Amino acid sequence: MTTAVTRTALPLLAALLVAGRATAQQTDPRLERLDAATRPTVAALVDSARTAFLPTEPLVQRALEGATKRASGDLIVAAVRRLAVDLGHARDALGSTASAAELTAGAAALRAGASPTILAQLRETRREALTMPLAVLADLVASGVPVDSAAAAVLALAARVRDAELVEFRRAVERDIALGAPPAAATAAAATAADVRVNAGARQQRPGRP
Amino acid sequence: MFEPVDDVIERIARHLRRSVEIDPALDGRVMREITALPTPGGATALGKAWGWLRRPHQLTLTPLGGLAAAAALAVVVLLYRGDSTPPAPTQAESRAFQFVLIAPRATHVSLVGDFNDWDATRTPMRRTGSEALWTAVVPLEPGRYHYAFFVDSSRWLADPSAPVARDEDYGAPSSVLTVGGGS
Repeated sequence: MTTAVTRTALPLLAALLVAGRATAQQTDPRLERLDAATRPTVAALVDSARTAFLPTEPLVQRALEGATKRASGDLIVAAVRRLAVDLGHARDALGSTASAAELTAGAAALRAGASPTILAQLRETRREALTMPLAVLADLVASGVPVDSAAAAVLALAARVRDAELVEFRRAVERDIALGAPPAAATAAAATAADVRVNAGARQQRPGRP
Repeated sequence: MFEPVDDVIERIARHLRRSVEIDPALDGRVMREITALPTPGGATALGKAWGWLRRPHQLTLTPLGGLAAAAALAVVVLLYRGDSTPPAPTQAESRAFQFVLIAPRATHVSLVGDFNDWDATRTPMRRTGSEALWTAVVPLEPGRYHYAFFVDSSRWLADPSAPVARDEDYGAPSSVLTVGGGS
């Protein structure tokens, strides 16, 4: 009986493993746009990310961006590898439950200079999705705001404001910078204004008194 | 007085030697009785179960046991209902975004980015209103997107109204758009 089961089950298991591996190794057809020398390396990076349960779509898009912009194969491979590493670090900081959008935004924030500790603090601070706070953090740093100032402001706001208010905060900072304000000062002023707006909104929601 | 023993034995022997009349229907009655008897230890499990189901039973349950049974039933029902609820389609989360570029001298502009596989043929922008205004509307789900304008199939332009992509790897400028929501 045991021998019969073994004789049946082992080939079946082997076939399943081979089929599963073949399926996993199927190259994304969109990567056909890469040159023949670059494609296998990028496909291997994508497969590795998939095995590590990281989102693969950002990696594919980064490679396609390089192909469309006629970047060299080496540049494309380096960009995809760097993004994969950043996504892994973002996942370490944000936790295994982080969505693909959060990981992508987290990778951008890390690349901008935010520390993994800041990402972890944001996770503890905010119950809602972290995509927008992380993106605003990355965008502020890209606008010239020092990482510490941007992180402090976003951390202070993230617990209490909605995505739309974070976007408005970022626009206010960029507007003030464009008008000549020092980035750190513009960030502090916009954060204070956003905080005032949030408090005013909270007061308005209270029931009126006679 | 007493009969001699041999006479007594002789009479008994004669009595036993007489032929006995047997009812011809006896065999049939016996076989019917045998058929009607329950098979000793030979009932099938299905037969036993069927017999158990047809017999009335008395069930004794403590109040605590009753509550536990009700709670278990409620959990099963809730789990079933939870599993049977279809997931919300992701398309419901997408929102339309309008991209605008002012390019007076352009003859053709494409919107290219993470949302269309960086394919310059997929999202051509339309010249609307003013001759200089190019627009395109794209539905986007929550996420962070890199994109750029590809002008006259030769020039890359970032969106002047959006943050610049700091993690630009290829030299040509890109912008970023973050769509909130989702988890």
